[in-house]
Amino acid sequence: MTAVIHIIARERVFYLFVLPFAALTILFGVWPILLSVQVSLTASASALGASPKYIGLANYVAVLADPLFVASLWRTLAYTVLSVAANLAFALAFATLLDSSLIRRGNLFFRLALFLPVITPDVAGYVVWRWLYDRSFGAINAALTSIGLPAFGGLSSPDTAMAALLIAELWHHAGFYMIIFFANLAIRDRSLEEAAHIDGATTWQRWRYVVLPQLRPALVINTVYAMIQFLKTFTVIVVMTKGGPGDRTNFVSYYAYQLFDQARYGEATAMATILFAIVIVLSLTAYKLGDREPGR
Amino acid sequence: MTAKPTSRFAQFAAYGVAITTSLLFLYPYWWMLVSAFRSTREILSAPLRLLPETLDFSIFTEIGRIGGVDLSTYVINSIVITTLSTLVGVIVTALGAYAMVRRPKAPGFTFLRYGFLVTIMYPYMLLVIPVYIVMYKLGLLGSYAGIILFLALGPIQFFLFEQFFRAIPSEVIEAAMIDGASEWQVLTRIVLPMAAPITATVTLITFLLNWSQWFPILIISRSPDTYTLPVALLSMNSELGSNFQGIMALAVITTLPVAILFLLAQKRVMEGMASGAVKG
Repeated sequence: MTAVIHIIARERVFYLFVLPFAALTILFGVWPILLSVQVSLTASASALGASPKYIGLANYVAVLADPLFVASLWRTLAYTVLSVAANLAFALAFATLLDSSLIRRGNLFFRLALFLPVITPDVAGYVVWRWLYDRSFGAINAALTSIGLPAFGGLSSPDTAMAALLIAELWHHAGFYMIIFFANLAIRDRSLEEAAHIDGATTWQRWRYVVLPQLRPALVINTVYAMIQFLKTFTVIVVMTKGGPGDRTNFVSYYAYQLFDQARYGEATAMATILFAIVIVLSLTAYKLGDREPGR
Repeated sequence: MTAKPTSRFAQFAAYGVAITTSLLFLYPYWWMLVSAFRSTREILSAPLRLLPETLDFSIFTEIGRIGGVDLSTYVINSIVITTLSTLVGVIVTALGAYAMVRRPKAPGFTFLRYGFLVTIMYPYMLLVIPVYIVMYKLGLLGSYAGIILFLALGPIQFFLFEQFFRAIPSEVIEAAMIDGASEWQVLTRIVLPMAAPITATVTLITFLLNWSQWFPILIISRSPDTYTLPVALLSMNSELGSNFQGIMALAVITTLPVAILFLLAQKRVMEGMASGAVKG
């Protein structure tokens, strides 16, 4: 103990520098998270009172036995897998295209067009998309029917609501993943491709066996970022569907949020903890897998 | 690069894909802008029209009051909250990251770093109740201070500073220490001048990200008086019998400032966000 106090005294200037950062992190990060875990162990009715009643893991048991939650969890995972795959495939394809010798002029314009939605306030972007999908106002169905295609159900049809969210979210996020791939492509070793070319490798072989392995850092980062992003999908639901139609877009974060509104604090925070655990486990797994395999 | 002649067809196809994709990504902006100038009746009759029938700006005065609060209040809130949370965030994060890079093994610093990493991975929308409780206990509920302090910290900002400070050669600092400089002098005379470009990048990115925030502001606010533009837009969009043209006009006001700022500083923003992410 005295040793620690001694170090703190000696390094006091650094503790002074870190103090505001530590205060904000603890007050608005660590403390609320611990409170959330604490609330998840109490009965909802007493959760916010002076003497909360602790009921152990009963909320977790109740939540895991709730078919709506389990359905919502599977829906969230399915949406996450689809979104991560769609976003990364799109971003990688577009970054590869922009990096190729086929696109010389206009490169910056194309990157700006894709990145602009990233810095656009998500509420504004999703509000516009909500109306673009609209059956009577929207431009999407007007365009589809004008060229003789069937109308798109958009947000109002149970079959297409999730796809509609995925497209709007791809519009908002893909530019971010794209520039990370693009930055990684820019720092790769191009001499390897020339060597492969001289050895007679086709364009596809060069991309698959020479370029792609060098993109491992960007792939790992993008996978982890996108996974965290889409597991937490929330704003787009609040703006566009409110979980509907039916329960088709009722993901975990939104379901838990609805329980807060009904004052079911214990169950809502138990859901938060479960979702958080999934986020942590999946991200760490992706990092570990990405680091372990050869080629880096 | 290689001597292979580029086939004209491949190049044509590549530009076709790139241009089509870019225009599809930009179309929602155009539609939003045009719709802000068209009445509901005009849009219903021709949703695809690329130009408004008339250039009528009256909608921007029609939405002068939203939810019982002046539009100008939301604009000022957005500017004040975004600017101050950016300033606080940049200063606090720079100092914190600097200390943690210089003394990574000091007692408590590892805990703090993990605490921060856990915080940024937590589904923030599920912190509603605890953040509400914390703000209540601190007496910050409904205050600008509560909103500004909550928005101050962010992952990309921290990683960018951490990455920059780690890259400073220790010889630079050691040389100054041998010359008798105090830690405070090292920071203000050597490190901070070197950090000017990265500070500009972080400031820009933080501003853009904080302008978009809505959920913490909605939770910490006690009335629409502290709402920013995105929060006002969300509540307008949730009203029944939506005023479509007004919503589009408000979306334009919400988007335009950051879109312009981004286009003016695009290189810094895109490179900064890419390297901040690559570090994390």
